[in-house]
Order: sequence, then structure tokens, then C-alpha cells
Amino acid sequence: MVTRREFLKTCAIGASVGGYARGREATAPDYTIDIAPYSLEFSHRREIKTIAYNGQVPGPLLRFQEGKLVTININNKTDIPEVVHWHGMFLGSSVDGAMEEGTPMIAPGGASQISFIPQPAGFRWYHTHTFAGHNLNRGQYTGQHGFLWIEPRENPARYDAEFFLALHDWRGQLLGSGDGSMNPSYDVSTVNGRVLGFGAPLRVKAGQRMLLHILNSSATDCHWIALAGHQFTVVALDGNRVPNPAAVPMLSIAPAERVSAIVELNNPGVWVLGEVRKHIKQAGMGIVVEYANKSGEPQWQQPETLTWDYLKFADTGTDVSGSNKALEIPLVFKSKFTGHGDMDHWTINGKSYPNTEIIGLKEGERYRLQFRNESTDHHPLHLHRHTFELRQMGDRKTRGIMKDVVLVPSNTPVDVEFTANHPGSTLFHCHQQDHMDMGFMLLFRYI
Amino acid sequence: MLRIFLSILLLGFLVPPAIRAQGNYEIQVYGADTIAPNSTMVELHSNYTALGQRYVIDGIYPTYHQEHETLEITQGVTDWMEVGFYIFTSEQNGHGAQWVGDHIRPRVRVPDKWHWPVGVSISTEIGYQRPVYSLDTWTWEIRPIIDKTIKRWYFAFNPALERTLHGPDVHQGLGFAPGAKVGYDFTKKISGGVEYYADYGGFAQFDSFHYQQQQFFAVTDLNVSPAWEINIGVGVGVTGSTDHLLIKGILGRHFDWKKKSPVD
Repeated sequence: MVTRREFLKTCAIGASVGGYARGREATAPDYTIDIAPYSLEFSHRREIKTIAYNGQVPGPLLRFQEGKLVTININNKTDIPEVVHWHGMFLGSSVDGAMEEGTPMIAPGGASQISFIPQPAGFRWYHTHTFAGHNLNRGQYTGQHGFLWIEPRENPARYDAEFFLALHDWRGQLLGSGDGSMNPSYDVSTVNGRVLGFGAPLRVKAGQRMLLHILNSSATDCHWIALAGHQFTVVALDGNRVPNPAAVPMLSIAPAERVSAIVELNNPGVWVLGEVRKHIKQAGMGIVVEYANKSGEPQWQQPETLTWDYLKFADTGTDVSGSNKALEIPLVFKSKFTGHGDMDHWTINGKSYPNTEIIGLKEGERYRLQFRNESTDHHPLHLHRHTFELRQMGDRKTRGIMKDVVLVPSNTPVDVEFTANHPGSTLFHCHQQDHMDMGFMLLFRYI
Repeated sequence: MLRIFLSILLLGFLVPPAIRAQGNYEIQVYGADTIAPNSTMVELHSNYTALGQRYVIDGIYPTYHQEHETLEITQGVTDWMEVGFYIFTSEQNGHGAQWVGDHIRPRVRVPDKWHWPVGVSISTEIGYQRPVYSLDTWTWEIRPIIDKTIKRWYFAFNPALERTLHGPDVHQGLGFAPGAKVGYDFTKKISGGVEYYADYGGFAQFDSFHYQQQQFFAVTDLNVSPAWEINIGVGVGVTGSTDHLLIKGILGRHFDWKKKSPVD
């Protein structure tokens, strides 16, 4: 059986020989991304050796105009083949940034220039899309992630201050867990590459409306985030406006998900925005929110429960049972035990990538993906190059929430629908690095 | 005459010079992990000596057809330390059910955050056993524990050092009593393997093979739930000084005392 690692290696060799940008006349780039080793000082005199974009974690915030061509130079200054995935965008398969779709890897020491027309508007992100396997210092375990903001014609909400925050976990190791297999466990958790109290605070003023764009760039872990003394009004999920903005006490953000939320700054003080679960907050996941003219120890109010429901933000005004005559594609997810000293392997409809079935799509057709998670894990499922609409969570039907990642709980049926309107190979996978590396992927191909 | 001769020969064959009694109370190769804080593991070790020492020697009851029930209670103290407490009992025709002794065993381990490639812990055990079960009534043990799980395989090694504090072996110095285990996961719930237990005698000078204790157990571990521990095995002794056939079982139940909170 060909593993994902062997498959990628074969493709990487081909790409490095071909040299993606060679032979083309280079144009002046709008942005340049250098992928290079980097020592991240996440706390005072404590460093993590990782790989990052442009010597910072997260990478630089890239701002694009929707529909306006951009050109980006990417230099791979590492000793491994790399590729940058433009997550949540409608790009061609050759630039989307997944080797499995046909985007060439950038050879060690190599360079690439890509151009694309950014769409859709909203909060997107970019990150590596390489194999890590048992090496928890590769792939999404590194600092290779950055924010993308595609300027919309109209912002989802009025705001006075805007912050982009990335949640990440570091120094992972494989440890035995309750499910009987090995899973990544982390020593350090950060917001924008810093542990609580080390980074600069978010400085705000009373009476402002603060717009937070929060990305979970963790390789494997979901995070719950609260801001002491305040509530969040969720206005967008995965960069897409929600039909029904609603106030919630905390946010749940699965790997690769984004939440945009407004915070009414009506409680002057010095507060902690951090992970709700104590052990992860203790590992550093938090950042201080400091009102002007306020000082003192940052205050934290410990929630006692975890609450989150996607459907709170759903369209309540339309008939949720209405059908678009979508073609149904059932996808059943199962784990395969390979020993108490190994990570589980994963199957979709009984097969592991790259042996999973390639599913054909017809342009213009509407499809309904029926996720049936028969494992004990929750899975953040990501469809490349498309946006889908949530249609069912458990036994509840819904409409109007557009996403590119959805967390599918164990043994809970979840249905999503999308229109096949972006021809080209399209990857579908669990966004947990350990799951996608162990076979949890398949390709859609337009026919 | 022949019977007397054979009996003397048999006694000489089975009994080492220092007349060490074989423990057989807790037959277990330790893994490096410790019990989590605010939780307790209660284990019942049931060991039956099907073929063993048949004679009373120096006042020590024979092991033959002894049924040992040992209650082991282990309390997690921190995420790298636990303390175990043992109550040893024995049941045998003619002797009834008897209390044998008690041991206490603190253990510390290398914390996960050190990212060591193998699990490492070290335990020390001290305790008393009645002289009718062992002439060495007070003993102390230090047991390094190293283990590693690789895919379906599990390896553990316990190179234990023993010291008699009161009894005939008090002048022997450190004794070497290693244990080892190799396991294989046939399924998520069923593992099988081999466990090895030995007592080589004095560390400075090992006993001859004949007087060493060497046992091999074929075992199975049933991983039915994180709350339960089930280990069953059959062991054979391969030296003259070892009980020749034992059947062992461990039934353990994990108790979590702290109310689980979703935000912990």
C-alpha cells in the first residue's frame, strides 16, 4: 500500500525537477513569503525551534482586494519540500496549495511565484500542507500559518478596533490516551506565538466595538475561548457572515476554523482572553485585554461549562427542510487500530488515502455530503476550494451557515451541501494533522 | 531408605543455600506510568502455586498449593508520583487463611514534559512478612522501571535490587531480581505476551543457575476499559529453586475521586 508520505515524496521529486516558476518571466510580487527555520521566543528566554513565514509567528497578515489579481513569491529556505495552502479560497488546483490536487511542491532551496484572483471576501488563512507523520516538528505542528484578509465590499459589522489572533499548540509528543491509541499532547499553547502575559496586550478603549478574527491553527486540538467580563457576538464563521449574529459567552474553534466576533467594550479593566479549559490556559493560551487608563493584574473569570452550538447563528427565517435536489454522497469515517504504541489509521468508506475512492463531480451540480462519523473522535472536516452550507447537525436541520471546515462529533450525523462551481481536483480531509497523515483524505474530481 | 534418600536429594534440589522463600504474592512487571493524582487503583492479585515446594523447611510453610491473595492499593499523589500499599495473604490446606505481611511502595516517574523517548520510573518498596512465609522478615527493594510501546509491541524491564533488612540474607548485600515483559496487541482489547521473573541472588556474586529463581509466564492483558486492568497468566519455573507451575491473575479497578469537570 502506498502511504501518503510515499505518495508526497514521489510528487515532490517531480515538482523539484520541474521547478514550478522556472521559465516564466517573474513579475514584481505583491507579497513575498520566506519559509525558513525560526526560533520563536514564546515566553521570556524560552524558545521553540520551528519553521515560520518571514521570521514571525503567525506569518504576516496578507490583505487582498477581492477580485484583484495578486502575485506572491514563495521562497523555501528549508531542507524539505514545502507548499503553501490558501485556505478557504476559490483557487485553481495548481495554486491552491495541496500536492494531492496537483499544486507542485517547492523544492528545498527553491522558489515559486504564483498569481491568483482572491475570492471570496472574508477571513481566510494560509498554511503549510505537508506530511508530518510521527514527527511533531513538521507540517502544521510548526509555525507555518498566517492570516489572510480579503477585503469585502461591506464589512460584516461596524467596529472601532480589529485584532487577528491565532491559537496554536507547541512541543507536541505522542502519548497514550483514553481511546487506547497514541495522540499528540502539547506542553505549550499560545495566542499569536506568545504565552499569556508575555505578549503585548490588546489595548482598547471603553465604548469601542472590538472585532476579533480568531483562527485555530493548532495541528490537532480544538479550543474554547472566553473573554472575562465580556461576551462575543459572532458575526462570521470561517470568514463567511452568519445569517443570525448572536451573543455567546465563549467560542469553540476546531483546527482550521475561524470565528469573527464583535466585543462591546463596556466593562473597563484589565482582562484575560484565554482558553476556558484550565490545563490549556495553564500551558499559556491567553492574551491580556487592557482598557486605556486601567492597570493591575489581569482578571479571569473561570467558566464551569463548555457551550457552543453552530446552529445558534443559523438562518431562522427560511424553511430548513427545503431541498435543493442535491445528489447525496455518504461518507463513513472509521478508525483502524494499529497498536497501543501508534496513532490510529483512518478510513473513508472503508479505504485510506491514497487508496480512497475518487468521487466525480459535475460542474453546476449541487451535492450533499453526508458525514457519518463512526469513530470515537470528533473531526474538523475541510473541503478545499469550495464553501459548503450546513444542512443538518444531529437530528436538527438548518440553513444559511456557510463554512469550509465543520467539526463533526462522534456518532452524530452531519450533512453539508455545496455547489460544484470550481472545476479542478478538490481535496477533502480531516484537518487534524495526525488524521490526514494517517489516511483521512479523499479527492473529488470534476468530470 | 530409598525414600529418605530421594527426599534429601529433592530437598537439596529445591532449596538454595540461604533457603529463600519464593514470593509469589505480587507477580507483575511494572510499567513506567503512575496513577494520576486524585485517583486510586485497587488491584487484587490472585496467585496459585500448582507445583511448588512441598516441604516445611526451617519452619517455612511450603508453597505447594498455596493460594495467595494480595490487595494492592495505589494512590496517585502528583502527576509523577504514587504510593502503593500491599496486604499479603495466603490460604492453604492445613494452615487456613493467614495474613502474611504488608509492604509500602512509593514510586516516582519522569514527567511527560521531559519528552524522554522511553518511560522511566523508580520505585522503592519496604515491608514485613511473617517468618513462616519468609525467613527474611524485613526487606527493601529498589526497582528501576523502563518501558516502551512501539506500534503493537510493548517492552518493559524492571532490573530490581533487593536487600534483606532482617533475616538470614541480611549479610548477602544487594540481590538482583529482574523482571521483563514483551507484549503484543492482537486487537485493541486483547494483548498477549511473555513475562520473565528472576532472582539471581547476591549482586556481588550470583547464585549458581540451579539456585537462582527463573520463571516465564505466558500472559494476556485484556484492555476492556481504561477503568479496568485484567492480566492472566500461567508460569513455569525453569530452575530447581523455582516453583514449577503457577497460575496468576490481576484484577484492577481505577477510581477517580475528583468530579470530572469539562473545563479541567
